[in-house]
Amino acid sequence: MLKIEGKPLEAWQDPSARPYVQLQRVTRQYGDLYAVDNVSLDIYQGEFFSLLGSSGCGKSTLLRLLAGLEMPSSGRILIDGVDVTDVPPYLRPVNMMFQSYALFPHMSVENNIAFGLKQEKLPALEREQRIDQMLNLLHIESLRKRRPDQLSGGQKQRVALARSLAKLPKLLLLDEPLGALDKRLRENTQFELVNLQEKLGITFVTVTHDQEEAMTMSSRIAVMHEGQIRQVDTPSGIYEFPNSRFVAGFVGSINLFEGRVMQRIDDEVLIEGAEGEHYRMRSYQPLAIGLPVAVAVRPEKVRLSTDLADAPNRIRGKVQDIAYLGDVSIFHLLSASGHKIQMTLTNTRPITEQSLNWGEEVVIEWDADAGVVLTE
Amino acid sequence: MKWRNLIMGLVAFGYAFLYIPVMLLVIYSFNESRLVTVWGGFSFKWYGEVLKNESLLNAAWLSLRIATVNATFAVALGTLAAYSLNRYRRFRGRGGFELLLAAPLVMPDVIIGLSLLLLFVSLEQLIGWPPGRGFTTISIAHITFSLAYAAVVIRGRIGQLDPLLEEAAMDLGAKPFTVFLRITLPLLAPALISAWLLAFTLSLDDLVIASFVSGPGSTTLPMWIYSSVRLGVKPEVNALATLMLLFVVIIVLFSGRIFNRKR
Repeated sequence: MLKIEGKPLEAWQDPSARPYVQLQRVTRQYGDLYAVDNVSLDIYQGEFFSLLGSSGCGKSTLLRLLAGLEMPSSGRILIDGVDVTDVPPYLRPVNMMFQSYALFPHMSVENNIAFGLKQEKLPALEREQRIDQMLNLLHIESLRKRRPDQLSGGQKQRVALARSLAKLPKLLLLDEPLGALDKRLRENTQFELVNLQEKLGITFVTVTHDQEEAMTMSSRIAVMHEGQIRQVDTPSGIYEFPNSRFVAGFVGSINLFEGRVMQRIDDEVLIEGAEGEHYRMRSYQPLAIGLPVAVAVRPEKVRLSTDLADAPNRIRGKVQDIAYLGDVSIFHLLSASGHKIQMTLTNTRPITEQSLNWGEEVVIEWDADAGVVLTE
Repeated sequence: MKWRNLIMGLVAFGYAFLYIPVMLLVIYSFNESRLVTVWGGFSFKWYGEVLKNESLLNAAWLSLRIATVNATFAVALGTLAAYSLNRYRRFRGRGGFELLLAAPLVMPDVIIGLSLLLLFVSLEQLIGWPPGRGFTTISIAHITFSLAYAAVVIRGRIGQLDPLLEEAAMDLGAKPFTVFLRITLPLLAPALISAWLLAFTLSLDDLVIASFVSGPGSTTLPMWIYSSVRLGVKPEVNALATLMLLFVVIIVLFSGRIFNRKR
């Protein structure tokens, strides 16, 4: 990826930086099923790292492996340079916030938070201070004496977070931290969680199936599928430069045009589609002539063209469907070559003035650097 | 409407069948007359007799001690058995262990009593322990069968326990034994109390097994009552039964209050 002059390197771009968490060829097998399949991953200090995937992709198992609640079938796990593969959960410098919160029902909020501190034999005075600090941090001072069954979902989430933060772990694991909250509360809490993470400087590793959530909060995202990591990158890296058809399709919407490489012209390649249409895309990868590839273009990078002449990246189509979302409208087009194409246009004017209608013939186009060429 | 009346009638009959004898027993415990079946006026006389009867008081005291020891051991061992059966899904001889644990539930008392008697007698001949038969042998006998009941009650509750709570505790730095002590045990408390009360009652109630494994001079309450009734029901037995009933009611109300406060 391009490095911007003057901007300091992020930890994962710096080859001399030592990863805080290292997974080395970690596999977790249940009988014939590979829940986690040969995963290698480096996570750096201070990151907000998200494991993104649909349910059953192995992301929760990976988190439990880090917590020590599962043992890998093979591979090593290092935290802060120490091999913790065989270290039981109660000796790892890691805390976890569970999806179901797992608050102790027989203890008050205060005692839930104090539990971890009592295990490390913190003096009573310090313990009290830490509890106050945590209650304060999450704005739940008034819940101090309550029991878990007297709390709402959002309150439980805060208490669970306070409990997992109380020991000031270097690494916090969060399993679907916002999963059980309603949409409004979720959006507020997302930002709060990010602020908290920056304030405390703790490395967060979260698991989520919600791509929007992962995009908003993370420094980097690992997209997981069937126990394997398919791509690790920043949110924009994942979105703008997916490395495969799977990742491109999993995160956001995408238009894929299958074709073969015809010719390279400087840093661009000419691609011929199955129907004889042409695409001209920027690509820095070495691509052999004749290689089957896919041109991937996001719907918002497609625009209406006023030039009607045939050219690469220009397609004639008919409006099939319009979805009005307020801020934007999504148009479903059917091209002459039979492609279904999505185009997102910002509603800069009231929709009533919009000229595009059902059944209308349009010409659309995109720039050579508006998408990527995928080989996988 | 007709059906409803019929059902209500049946229910009333059922309850009457269960509780009228008990009520009669309580009423006749206040009978002045020496004849159990003839009402001779209201009196506390037989309660006085109960409290003066030393052999009866000794038997009651022995039974209470045995019941307490029995319930405590049965709950402790039953918890361990239930916990290991629930948490360790696969170990050598699990099936056999489970079967043998449940066997006393269906084993006739006569067989348990007789086999334990044989065991105690031969043990005494071989290693000199237990010396004679009495408190120790009855307690051991009671623990062997109460254990099965306690394990059943506790297993039901452990099955409902969220294993994530234990994982969360471990994640917060608690070693397995601390997790058991601070998380598992308190959450099991209601079941432990129920199991304790059940084992206590089973022991207090047992006549057959105790008869086999008791020796001279160690008469439990049920044995005392049985032998005195054989010579005809005395009014003081009614008074004694009423006292026991009162005792049980108090315990039940008390444990009910504990549960409600927990919730």
